[in-house]
Amino acid sequence: MARVPEADLLLAIMGAPHASDMVASALRVAEAVVGQGGRVQVWTCGYATMLTQSSLGDTKPRNVVDWSRDYPSTAKTIGDLLGRCGGGLTWYTCRFCGEERGVTTHIPEVKVRPPFKFGEHVAAAGKTLFLGVI
Amino acid sequence: MRYLAIVERGYRGSVETQFADVLYLVRELNRQLDGLDLSLRGLAVTYAVTADPVPPVVGLDTLPDPRASLRTLLDEGVTVTVTDDDLAAAGLPGDVQLLPGVVRGAARWTDYRAVWFL
Repeated sequence: MARVPEADLLLAIMGAPHASDMVASALRVAEAVVGQGGRVQVWTCGYATMLTQSSLGDTKPRNVVDWSRDYPSTAKTIGDLLGRCGGGLTWYTCRFCGEERGVTTHIPEVKVRPPFKFGEHVAAAGKTLFLGVI
Repeated sequence: MRYLAIVERGYRGSVETQFADVLYLVRELNRQLDGLDLSLRGLAVTYAVTADPVPPVVGLDTLPDPRASLRTLLDEGVTVTVTDDDLAAAGLPGDVQLLPGVVRGAARWTDYRAVWFL
């Protein structure tokens, strides 16, 4: 991969999804910063690598209380956000953490990186914010 | 005898769970076991407080709506309890408006076949 592009903010999502509203906060922050003209990178480690695995498909399983309604998967939600943000938002994910948890393939918008490259992303970002613990 | 579910932790991944939050599990357990009540504690007591649905996140308008889920549970015969102490611990005033049908007071564990933390 070429040199890591510079960013104003690196959001390092270390904590696990489904435990708190950390992911919602990360997405809100990313969208808001990009909306103000900033450049954001997201790097996921640990169980957060599962957010963008392609096996999730576009939708969650059916809701028996509201059967006909579609609920987008996290992969679809993040893919759509990346599309809307253009080049303002890039999403990286840790290969080691993903493989350790059985994540084999991500949606195409996500770039898989080896863990020993994380420091390059920190260096390329004006500010790094860690979210959760691994 | 009925079962009792205790939910203490709220807001566990809105974008990830959407409809499939812990209250969805409570509904299914109530259906399968033919009788399960719900005690809300901790931050989860706020589920019982009247409030508007949360606004969309990054365009996602299918976030959890715990008040709507509680209304479904109440309609299906689930008794929902919250205590004044837990409401106060969450910073809510004593006269805060709760969803119609929610009971103020503690569920008595010995009234139940089993008590589960969800």
